[in-house]
Amino acid sequence: MLQFLTDKAIYIVMIIVLIVWIGIFFYLLTMDRRIKIIEKELKGDNYEE
Amino acid sequence: MIWKILLFVLMTFVSIAGISFPIVEKPSNWYEFPLIPGLGENAKIIFFHVPTAWLTVVAFFMSFIFSIKYLKQKNHEYDVKAYVANQLGIIFCILATLTGAIWAKFAWGAFWSWDPRQTSIFALLLIYGAWFALRSSIDSDEKRATLSSVYSIIAFFTVPFFIFIMPRIMTGLHPGSADDDNLGPVINFKMNENMQLIFFLSLTAFSLLYFWMWNLGYKSILIKEKLIKKFER
Repeated sequence: MLQFLTDKAIYIVMIIVLIVWIGIFFYLLTMDRRIKIIEKELKGDNYEE
Repeated sequence: MIWKILLFVLMTFVSIAGISFPIVEKPSNWYEFPLIPGLGENAKIIFFHVPTAWLTVVAFFMSFIFSIKYLKQKNHEYDVKAYVANQLGIIFCILATLTGAIWAKFAWGAFWSWDPRQTSIFALLLIYGAWFALRSSIDSDEKRATLSSVYSIIAFFTVPFFIFIMPRIMTGLHPGSADDDNLGPVINFKMNENMQLIFFLSLTAFSLLYFWMWNLGYKSILIKEKLIKKFER
């Protein structure tokens, strides 16, 4: 496995891109959830027009 | 929720396939890409650079639609939606320019050579840059929304010309230009079916990602405005 990755460096790039993508995806997911919670809270608000 | 899982799976697959599938002279397995003369390994940029240019068009088109809607109904929400679409549009436009320039250094020998494609995207950046200048120069909310809607609608008429027409009728270096002997609609240039499939999956994945970013963007602005209104009382 290690030898394979040393020989074909492009797969290391692929793994790094995947890790970055997973990080971005889960960040977006938490942002999405946060905004939904705030939206819900604002809806039940008397101040809203 | 389902489309978010779809986005995750698609983008993961596109990253794996787009980066690591080998390019060979005569593809025999489904996972092999054909060798495009003159491009070689550089051809793999198509899975990541073209979607950014595609999202530029999608974003500016959405801004066009929401600007029309705003002028019709004068609903503030549409102005916010058009604003976020233009914001994302210009971000992806800059990304397409940058990734293209880096690629050009190794494919054409220079970062910038005023190829028709580069010239047209530069014009597009200026046109939409002016939109933000216009927006920030008006104080009154309604006037700003109306004027920027009108500008956005007029500006969009230049987009098909700059992205789809002008770089293809002129001779140039960019794949798909008039003297490119791999010619055809850009998507057909010597890609095999597998490469086309992954290319379209990439476009889908990036479109979903754009949609999500746009969604978060306009929602957060609307929430911010609601909260400001609430605390002003």
